[in-house]
Amino acid sequence: MNEEEIKQEENFSFNDYWPSVGIVGTIFSLISFVVGLFFGYQQINSEPTGSFFSPIMLSGVVVCLVTAVAGLLAVWHFTREVSPKLKLGQGAIIGFLTGAVIVVISVILNELWIMLIDPEYTQKIMDSTIANIEAMDMPDSAKDDMIDAMADSMETGQSFFRQIFWGIPVTGLLNLITGLLGVKFFAEKEETF
Amino acid sequence: MKHKMLYFTVLGALICLVLISLGGGFWGAEKSIGHWTGNMFRGVCHQLPDRSFMFNDVQMAVNSRCFGIFSGLLSGWILIAAAVFLMNKKYPILWFLLLAVIIQIIDYSGNLFQLWENTNHSRAVLGWVLGLAASLAVFDQFQTDNKSTKL
Repeated sequence: MNEEEIKQEENFSFNDYWPSVGIVGTIFSLISFVVGLFFGYQQINSEPTGSFFSPIMLSGVVVCLVTAVAGLLAVWHFTREVSPKLKLGQGAIIGFLTGAVIVVISVILNELWIMLIDPEYTQKIMDSTIANIEAMDMPDSAKDDMIDAMADSMETGQSFFRQIFWGIPVTGLLNLITGLLGVKFFAEKEETF
Repeated sequence: MKHKMLYFTVLGALICLVLISLGGGFWGAEKSIGHWTGNMFRGVCHQLPDRSFMFNDVQMAVNSRCFGIFSGLLSGWILIAAAVFLMNKKYPILWFLLLAVIIQIIDYSGNLFQLWENTNHSRAVLGWVLGLAASLAVFDQFQTDNKSTKL
């Protein structure tokens, strides 16, 4: 392969990125959706314990950790299926786009679940979380603050586009960084003469 | 140093990330949860008040561990600029990253199974170490070819 062909190969278009971004993004958004639902219904069906370690809190930690490594795996997929040679910036784009896909699909799946399967889901989560806060061993004023904060959060963060608008930058950036790690781990090093 | 544009773009993004994670207290608001700063991290952080630091008497937009990770990412990213010039030997950066991940898992599990109780400060410090290691792990990608390192 001559130098020009190699260079041409390394100038990828978005069409080259989408299979890896789409497949890994979809898988991880499904995982985060299912994990979120699992812990969500565990929270709804559990008795209030007053513990900070509620299923919903565990869900947040697990979903965050799982979705953050998607950028790394998207780059791995790209190096296996498209080209083993990848520049650092290209890994960053793949990582960021994977994060964006995760946010968009997760929000769509959540909205569909609430619209078609369980319209009371959000309310049940809220009621259960409030019951747990009320069982906590802390001053009433602190409990009220937590409940008010949660109600505020639910009210302001529910719109479909708002969830996407606020979600993409942070999830995208975290996956961008794991995408850079993916380039380090999986991309072939350029030969120097 | 290679990939300067990428370096400075990510640097800018990480500075924004840390400033936003400080929450409403930094932006003149009376709260973070329900504020745009809190909404931004809603999907990645549980934002429990008791597990978060205060900034200007207002709860931060993220918990102490997330804040540690974000500030560690920024610290590590800033250090990359020095590392590309100073580090040209085989530094065990990936082992450092692996160690930071393992320590996180041990700390979280120990607290979950009530073997010990971690604090906001311990969570922030361990998070900071993880963020630092994650950023520094890619420092060699920014080195010019004659200084590239491998593990």
